[in-house]
Amino acid sequence: MCDVCGCGDTKAVPVDVHERILAGNDRAARHNREHFDRHHLIAINLMGSPGAGKTAVLEATAAALRGQMRLGVLAGDLATDNDATRLRDAGIVAESITTGTACHLDAEMVHHGLHHLPWRELDLLVIENVGNLVCPAVYDLGQHVNVVALSVTEGEDKPLKYPTMFRKADLVLLTKIDLLPALPDIHIQTIENNLRAVMPIPAMLPVSARTGIGIEHWVEWIRGLARPAVNDADSVSAR
Amino acid sequence: MHEFSIVQAMFEQIDRIVEDHDARSVRRVRVALGEFAGVDPTLFTTAYEVFRINTVCADAPLQIERVPGTDDLLLEQLELEVP
Repeated sequence: MCDVCGCGDTKAVPVDVHERILAGNDRAARHNREHFDRHHLIAINLMGSPGAGKTAVLEATAAALRGQMRLGVLAGDLATDNDATRLRDAGIVAESITTGTACHLDAEMVHHGLHHLPWRELDLLVIENVGNLVCPAVYDLGQHVNVVALSVTEGEDKPLKYPTMFRKADLVLLTKIDLLPALPDIHIQTIENNLRAVMPIPAMLPVSARTGIGIEHWVEWIRGLARPAVNDADSVSAR
Repeated sequence: MHEFSIVQAMFEQIDRIVEDHDARSVRRVRVALGEFAGVDPTLFTTAYEVFRINTVCADAPLQIERVPGTDDLLLEQLELEVP
């Protein structure tokens, strides 16, 4: 009987659901994370605008980690295999996830992508999300940390314009800082202040994949991530 | 426009609940969207209006409750019509 409006309609039944709409995605993400934890694999969800320099950062990261950590990448894109091809040319184990019209990756797509990647042989998996500062922030993929690439050419106020994305970030990589001399109106301090306004725990590293500036600090940050293990109280918490 | 894939996921939830209750249709849908959910209420509504055509929700209005300071993205309540 309807007890919502008190009309007494015996055919109306209110059902309290109170369930996350993306509960199905969340289950798939937990499944991915369990795989990663079981194999002591660190998983990073790398997000950012198209052209923020995500792929270039990964090329520089692979060079810096060579001989120390085995890096693999799942590269999400609406169309083309270009990013994965670039990464493979740089000696990185990489596979594409072509989303078609979807503006983000979800946990099922990542799970399917893992079937095409020798991920058990890796120490570090980077999921390079579709270039977009809105949609990818909504979906848990099973990653341990979120990293957002923000290039200096995008302007200072992106964190304020896209707060959901930056709220979810554990680290922001400020990319292309070698271009700063050509951008007199862009100030790192202003970007940092804007990040402080939206990030619960502000963390930013300025880098240039082209010159290598800051890459060692980024790699050090990666090394500092505890290797997750099942029942390990010190493991990285899921975001 | 991830709102379309989110609404699609919501319809999968709704179909399951309708089946569980042997309901004929849905009379009303209520969701909670947090301020930091990353979901635009207008686009969410537009997606719902597109998806509900010729479904169990064809005559069900959507109520959106905005929740400040959270990233809630919840299907809160359905009102079902049972035989």
